[in-house]
Amino acid sequence: MYDATTREVVAPVPDESVAAAATPDPAPPELVVRGLRKTYEAETAPVRALRGVDLTVGRGEFVALMGPSGSGKSTLLHLLAGLDRADEGSVSIAGIRTEELSATRLARLRRRHVGLVFQFFHLIDHMSALENVALAALVAGAKPAEATERARDLLDTLGLLEKAGESPANLSGGQRQRVAIARALANRPTLLLADEPTGALDSDGAAEVHDLFTRMHRVGQTILMVTHSADVAAGAQRIVRMRDGVLLGEIATTGEQR
Amino acid sequence: MGGGGFGAVRAVARAELRTGWRALLLMALVFGLVGGIATGAIALAERTATAYPRLVEAVALDDARVLVAADQPQLAAAVPSLPGVAEVRTDQAWIAQIDGPALRFVSIGAPTTQHDDLVRPVVVAGRMPAREAPDEVLLSESIAADSGLGVGSRITLRMLTLQQVSMFDVGFGPPAGPTTQVTVVGIGRMPTWGGALAAVQAGPAFAAKFLPDIVGYAIYARFAPEPDAAQRFGAAFARTAAVVDQISPSVVAQYVPHSVELPGAAVDPAVRAAEQVLVGGLVVFVIVLGLGGLQVLGQSLLRHHSARRATQRVESALGMDVVERTAARVLAAAGAGVVAGIVGGAVILAAGWLEPLGSQARFEPAPGFRPQWELVIIGGLGIGVVFLMTVAVTAAVAGRAQQPTVTRPRPGGTRLLRRWPAALLGTRLALHGRVGRRGLPAGTTAVAASLAIAGVVAAVALGASLERLVDTPARYGQGADMTIVDAREADVGRLVADPRVAALDVGASGTATLADGTPIETTSREVRKGSLPVALAGGRLPVGHDEVAVGPRAASTLGVNVGDTLDIRRVHGGTSTLRIVGVAVLTSQNNGAVGDGLLVAPTVMRELVPGQPLFDAAVVAAPGAADALYAELAQNLEVFPRQVPDAVRNLGDLVTLPEILALVLAVVAGAGMVHALLTAGRRHAREVAVLSVLGATPGQVRSTLAVMAAATVVPALVVGVPLGLGAARVLWWQLATATGVAGDLAVPWRLLLVVVPAVLAGALLLSLAPAKRAARTPPAVALAGG
Ligand SMILES: Nc1ncnc2c1ncn2[C@@H]1O[C@H](COP(=O)(O)OP(=O)(O)OP(=O)(O)O)[C@@H](O)[C@H]1O
Ligand SMILES: [Mg+2]
Repeated sequence: MYDATTREVVAPVPDESVAAAATPDPAPPELVVRGLRKTYEAETAPVRALRGVDLTVGRGEFVALMGPSGSGKSTLLHLLAGLDRADEGSVSIAGIRTEELSATRLARLRRRHVGLVFQFFHLIDHMSALENVALAALVAGAKPAEATERARDLLDTLGLLEKAGESPANLSGGQRQRVAIARALANRPTLLLADEPTGALDSDGAAEVHDLFTRMHRVGQTILMVTHSADVAAGAQRIVRMRDGVLLGEIATTGEQR
Repeated sequence: MGGGGFGAVRAVARAELRTGWRALLLMALVFGLVGGIATGAIALAERTATAYPRLVEAVALDDARVLVAADQPQLAAAVPSLPGVAEVRTDQAWIAQIDGPALRFVSIGAPTTQHDDLVRPVVVAGRMPAREAPDEVLLSESIAADSGLGVGSRITLRMLTLQQVSMFDVGFGPPAGPTTQVTVVGIGRMPTWGGALAAVQAGPAFAAKFLPDIVGYAIYARFAPEPDAAQRFGAAFARTAAVVDQISPSVVAQYVPHSVELPGAAVDPAVRAAEQVLVGGLVVFVIVLGLGGLQVLGQSLLRHHSARRATQRVESALGMDVVERTAARVLAAAGAGVVAGIVGGAVILAAGWLEPLGSQARFEPAPGFRPQWELVIIGGLGIGVVFLMTVAVTAAVAGRAQQPTVTRPRPGGTRLLRRWPAALLGTRLALHGRVGRRGLPAGTTAVAASLAIAGVVAAVALGASLERLVDTPARYGQGADMTIVDAREADVGRLVADPRVAALDVGASGTATLADGTPIETTSREVRKGSLPVALAGGRLPVGHDEVAVGPRAASTLGVNVGDTLDIRRVHGGTSTLRIVGVAVLTSQNNGAVGDGLLVAPTVMRELVPGQPLFDAAVVAAPGAADALYAELAQNLEVFPRQVPDAVRNLGDLVTLPEILALVLAVVAGAGMVHALLTAGRRHAREVAVLSVLGATPGQVRSTLAVMAAATVVPALVVGVPLGLGAARVLWWQLATATGVAGDLAVPWRLLLVVVPAVLAGALLLSLAPAKRAARTPPAVALAGG
């Protein structure tokens, strides 16, 4: 079921220091968040989406983030990935503090360490499934031949090789999400962030994707996943609950591995 | 209709109006303006194309005219009763020398009684000569322009006797007829002047006063409405003339041939060719502008309605169907539609100030403001209706349930582009991306851009060719600064010795006959000093005994080219076979036509042309000496300064048209391109955000947008420039051949060398703006918006 190629493909790569200025300690946790705050300027009143979040995710950990709608889960994920800037607080990924990085350095950090999966896939319809995945590898600095090879391997692993030439627009929801996951893995991220990856899928699609995350976790992938589904969350080692922009408590699961 | 009913439609319309009236009004103003300009161009094309027929109507143009010598009054008297004739007007004719800087003769015509229903020049300045005033005349526009005379000018007419006219070729003393002072009271316009229609028109009092001194009769006839009236009249006139010649031959027979002019058929082919190019250019202009305007309006409205798509979803949920939702939007835009119509109508009305384009302005019977009310009303209504229809269509499209666009990417074709992620994504988005969520596919934009660039290049190249022609007299066979008619050897010898003369050719011309019996004007040029520029449209000048060069127009009508042969009858029997060694542009000494006829070596001339040829001396003055030399020669020789042939002058009038066309096309295409590139970032915000998510740096995002801009512009340039040059080549060849000049296109290389990189650089520069915006927008926000 899980062959050697995949293991090689999804295994985290050692960090070759993005920012020379930062000096990571020997084995820092994959993700450290301290006092993170974010307020959106909305039309009526400012929305305090995050009101001081602290979170640590260790290497190889699989953490599920749950909470009611509007509690700030997506906001948190976006800040972690550096897709938006926090008002206060700090984020370290692989031991590197992100808040002082320039946009370019932040992009390089993301390219090297972070993979992102969204509820609505965000694939590019003008490119084939293969090209969507290869694009990520190319951005990460792979040579063209290598990028194509890597994309092919990933699609093969995720059972989508026969759809490699297809536009995402012609794929089912589950297939699209698997392409999106392949794309998120194309740069061999040390941290995989997923925002309701099963949210837009039917139960079959959700099961496929859920299964995939479990397998990735088993080969050592660090995962932080937002989900509304208790079933999906049950596959994680740890469930973190969020409400009104703050983390409530943690629940350790059995880390059930089906 | 669904459950909403009209009340709901009105309520929605009110809400739409409240939130969107500014945008609607702006779009209406712009569309009204663009639609008005496009329709105004149609009005201008109509005015241009109908100028000639309207003038024919306005002047009550005659069907045929003949000139009869004064010593054959029987012939003149016979014309009214010839078959085919419905109506006749007979004028008296005189020839007079007028005072001025150079020796000039003019013909004068005057009716014995006032006529209004046949040959009635349009008066463009002043008035017609008064019935009872013997000292008032009307001048043709062309003579007024050539001589610098205008309304109020006084001229002295020294009339010739018939006897003097008969000695025109051998020379005569000072005019022996009466001398009179007249005042120019008007300038007249006719489709053509000359021949039997004198360039100086006087009234009945003049005719009565100088009746004994006439040299001829100018007779204008209107045919009966019979199909073969022209042939029957022509044949009968020839028969009658032959009989009269038998009884009493005229002393001026060689100057007054018994030929019938048909003024209705006398439109120069060059004028027609120019007119076609003009109207063709206007049609392209209207199409480009109309489609451009519609595209911009469609895109803007689509964006306008798409931004409010959520509102339509709510309305739909509340039970309003697509017809009601669309109707509400049309109702909200009704006022804007009226504004568009009014603005459009006003612009069309204002287009009434535009005179016909190019040479056709000389045929306009009603110069000045000419409103076309039908077009104003129909155009204004049309613009309003099209505006509202576009509102309806875009509202319906934007309100439709969203369907994913299914495009099948071709993964194989981009191996090269894979080298660089920016290149891969940039070209993909440029080539496959759609303009707006549901707008035209990018391919259409590329085709439109290519055509626009082709149009600009073609117009510029055509304009450059026209300009080069007008600025290079040798190109229309007028390399000489001045030409002395009937040059005598003594004068030629004196001029050759004159240091102020840089070059002098003696030309001889006469009529040769092709083997099939067609007469053809044949010229030879003998170089006496220096070298006179002659335009060669191909090959070289004839030197040998069996060589000939043909004019471009002659080459086209005879269907021959360099390398072919021509058989020409010899004066003493038999035919000569001459090899065509070149295509040379010459002006006829006879009628000023360009590019007709043959050019041979002087020795060949004597073998092919019977009788005494007409001699002329073409003179190129030393730099700066032309004016003084001309003034001196004009005192006792009939010398003409360089004259621009009508055909070339007509083309010269067109020079600004391609430039205007190029400018408008460039502005429209440029605006479209700027719009497309500036909105590229917004259109592809989601894709660009995805690129950032994958770890692309701001630099890579900039590169992607730059590649996208280049991928939009480069194919348009690569296709458009050669396409435009090709089109211009074909058009210019046709125009040049019809005019009789060389058909080689003036390619504006220098302009292209500047413009092509400038367009590219501009596109790349423009792509920086959306790149900057993309860099400012956090990817999270862009993704949420997509
Ligand atoms: N770009 C934005 N501008 C203004 N307010 C925002 C923006 N993005 C999010 N918010 C607000 O911030 C709060 C948190 O939003 P967020 O998307 O993080 O919630 P969420 O937990 O992901 O919810 P869901 O489970 O529905 O996805 C919400 O109140 C939301 O309205
Ligand atoms: Mg969310």
